[in-house]
Amino acid sequence: MTKKETEWISIPMTVDVPYRFAAGQYLTRCLTELRDNGKLLAVECPECKRVQLPPRIVCAECHVKNGRWVELGSEGTLVGFTIMYLPMTDPTTGKPHDPPFVYGSIRLDGATSVLDHFVHVEPDLAKVWIGMRCSMVLRPREDRIGDLNDILYFDPLPGQKKLQA
Amino acid sequence: MEDHKNDKTFEVDQHLTAHGRYYAGKMGSRFYISLRDKRKILGSSCKQCNKTFWPPRSICTFCFSELKKTVEIGPLGTLETFTVVTYDEPIHPRKAPFIYGIVKLDGADTGMAHLIDEVDFEEVRIGMRVQPVFAKERKGNILDIQYFKPL
Repeated sequence: MTKKETEWISIPMTVDVPYRFAAGQYLTRCLTELRDNGKLLAVECPECKRVQLPPRIVCAECHVKNGRWVELGSEGTLVGFTIMYLPMTDPTTGKPHDPPFVYGSIRLDGATSVLDHFVHVEPDLAKVWIGMRCSMVLRPREDRIGDLNDILYFDPLPGQKKLQA
Repeated sequence: MEDHKNDKTFEVDQHLTAHGRYYAGKMGSRFYISLRDKRKILGSSCKQCNKTFWPPRSICTFCFSELKKTVEIGPLGTLETFTVVTYDEPIHPRKAPFIYGIVKLDGADTGMAHLIDEVDFEEVRIGMRVQPVFAKERKGNILDIQYFKPL
């Protein structure tokens, strides 16, 4: 007969790793342009014409070098979203972002790929929908440091309503 | 062709934090409770293979049979290998410099990593006999043994 254990041991553990990555040629241009001029730059593939953000040197589908830089608009369309009820760790600070909040994928005008960011709207399914038009809100110039948090969030454009399904 | 020779490197700071919990399990709980309450170090032994594992595990590495029997091992042991850590990492339990060693306790057939202290970096050597220093306030984790020191 096995003796019944009276106590189970468990140990809380926190992995805390600050790190730093070199942005490389294309992402550097994208991030510094965002920081200095508040513009979001993407690259267009000469073959399939898709516009990638974050910019990549090589198109992963056509295997050709992306050379043409395209400035994206600051407005876009929400193509997917989630209402977060659990805290999400901010990858730049390691601190949790307090729930509930709306996190979504935004296709900026002119881009093929989407950008995931906070959507500045009440976490209410009646107030956020796929197809909602949003505009990018940046940090003030002096606070921008050249990472994705230079974009604070996406604001819904005023005067639009959720269509009844 | 664009010229990138004069581009400066641009680096982005990131920070990962993951909260988790380590569950010691049946064997691990026995090990930590005995360490905390009695200052006794337990290993688990396989009768068939005639091997004793430290830290204790509930499955034998060699024959995969279930292990239920624990035996007291140590507290004295032998330093199997070591490294002097000279740089800081957030994951390290101490500030550098310090020594990590693999200690094989008397009565065990496997060694385990722990801190080695109270020895000069020049004098630590493989095969050195060591003894554990128990923490005064023990909390049921592996740092209930603060470190191993030479006899």
